[in-house]
Amino acid sequence: MNQEKVIIIENLTKMYGKHVGVKNLSLTVHKGEIMGFLGPNGAGKTTTIRTCLALIAKTAGEITIFGLDSHKDAIAIRKKTGYLPGDFGLIPSVKVKSYLKYLLSLRECDSTKKMVDLAKRLELDLERKTNELSKGNKLKVGIVQTLMADQELIIMDEPSGLDPLVQQEFYRILREEKKQGKTIFTSSHNLAEVESVCDRVAIIRKGKLVVVEDIQILREKTGKVLEVEFSDPVNIDEFKLEGVSEIHQDDGRFILSIHENLDGVIGAVSNHRILNMTLKSYSLEQLFLKYYAEAENQKRGDA
Amino acid sequence: MLGRITCMELRTGWKGILIFGILILVISAGIVQIFPFYRDSLTEQLEGANKVNLSLPNEQGGNITLSWEPLQNATSYMVLEDTRVSMVTAKIAYLGEETSITFEKDFEEKRYYAVMAVTDETSDPLLIGIATTEKGEDPFKELLKNPAYASFTGGRSVSMLEVKGFITFEFFGFWWVVAGLFIAYLAVSIIASDFENKRMDIMLSTPISRRRYLLEKFGAMSLIALLTTLVAIVGLAGGLASINALNEISAEALFLSLIGCLPFLMVIAAAGMLTAVLFQKVRTGMGVTFAFVFTEFFLYTFGGFSKSLEWMKTISIFKYWDYSSVIIDDLFKLGDFMVLTVLAIVLLVIVVWVFEKKDIPT
Repeated sequence: MNQEKVIIIENLTKMYGKHVGVKNLSLTVHKGEIMGFLGPNGAGKTTTIRTCLALIAKTAGEITIFGLDSHKDAIAIRKKTGYLPGDFGLIPSVKVKSYLKYLLSLRECDSTKKMVDLAKRLELDLERKTNELSKGNKLKVGIVQTLMADQELIIMDEPSGLDPLVQQEFYRILREEKKQGKTIFTSSHNLAEVESVCDRVAIIRKGKLVVVEDIQILREKTGKVLEVEFSDPVNIDEFKLEGVSEIHQDDGRFILSIHENLDGVIGAVSNHRILNMTLKSYSLEQLFLKYYAEAENQKRGDA
Repeated sequence: MLGRITCMELRTGWKGILIFGILILVISAGIVQIFPFYRDSLTEQLEGANKVNLSLPNEQGGNITLSWEPLQNATSYMVLEDTRVSMVTAKIAYLGEETSITFEKDFEEKRYYAVMAVTDETSDPLLIGIATTEKGEDPFKELLKNPAYASFTGGRSVSMLEVKGFITFEFFGFWWVVAGLFIAYLAVSIIASDFENKRMDIMLSTPISRRRYLLEKFGAMSLIALLTTLVAIVGLAGGLASINALNEISAEALFLSLIGCLPFLMVIAAAGMLTAVLFQKVRTGMGVTFAFVFTEFFLYTFGGFSKSLEWMKTISIFKYWDYSSVIIDDLFKLGDFMVLTVLAIVLLVIVVWVFEKKDIPT
């Protein structure tokens, strides 16, 4: 991986009066990677992102983006950065096209080619009025404006809420952007979302960074949760296989925590008549428990 | 000051601006149409002063005779006496059926008398006329010097029988309410609604500095204020032309009296923007800005009530927009114009400074 650093956050602290927004957070985002920023609501993701964009002032610490100071050189940074806020409004009573062209003009970008292309791929009607859009369509407008001026750095705050098919197209777009050397920093409170598109993930909780991990390693560590329901009684021992760390049984329903040997487990499951089956990522809480347990063990080991 | 953000503001707000423009046109042209009727009714009232005859004694301590024309249907007459023409502290000097009374002049200061007729038909007494012991004084003109009126004319005595006086009272006296509060509303909502509707994040993620954002919005308001003012000038001129009174006010005076209010409006605009940036809520900002404008107005009015309160006038922006000086005396006060311009710029600098320090709320 190219190790050029696009975002360097060092010991960032943001206080809202006595309330801690973010505490002593350090994080680096490299050029050409998709970095996920994972944490529950209120963890400090939005605070970190909005401090990077100088929308809010930092209490302490340093943020360098493209080698520039995030606050002093905010304008120069914003020229090369696209941003999708977690919650935003549009200028009402104008066509989506006019609104996006207006934003392009503020970025001094003349080409509408990418805007039109993105809208088409995300199935966004540019002729609609901004105040007539559904939540999903509004999000699409947000996504288009984030990417349309070919910004080098793309920062997104929880871009979720698209239809599953459009969501897949959106991930494809992000991967293409990455291939072109763009850097993407996107927050989420959903592990599955992060897993499907990110290269690395930073996990934040209560304003503090828990861990930064490669998505491959994270996958190995966390694995999946398989929920399966059989029509006939099944012996629990059949699933005590390699890679299955936990089994819960609730009548005919089994919940298996799997971190490897997924094909073996699926094979065992398929020996019976299945009524219903879902394969999910860990919930955030499970993920935190995992990492905290790990940290505790390490402490004990050190002692 | 003028750029793409300005254009967008005008584009999205054109309906409101158009409606307001039409309103201004109707008010400015329409109010002048009322003048001939107003003049006629006022002339009738002034003649009322002649309906009451007051004869003063030649030497000290003699008798005063007050007589008036009888009024049909009158069952009795009432005479009010006061040292002020406004009659706010009046006492009843006479109540009876006579149309003439004589009494001893046992006072030195001037007195005013209002004669009223009491009829069966209406419960309120009808005014027959007013008279004063002060020689050569027209009590109706005195009435216009009342501080409540004086605040509209910068203390000048103005004849309401002239179109100049009429528009000074009836148009300019209320122009600040119409234009001033419209600009206040505009200034607050143009900024605070971007906060409330969460448009600020996307706006400020483009390479637009907060300063440029504010200045362009201010530019949009300046343009709207200028347009509104021009519409008012056209309306007034059109109204004057339609009653053949265009020659009574010079075109220059008309133009300057309204253009002269631009810095006044810009001060209100900058104050509105300041509250919008501070409170980031349309309602709160609007309340505070309106309170500011009304406080300024009351400071100016109260400052006119007594010499010891004159300092209040000095700190009121209303002192520095003396429209009557241009209309009545043909004198454009460039100094005052500059005071307000500088104040608007200072406020604008403060707005930018505050905005650059503030966190954008989510």
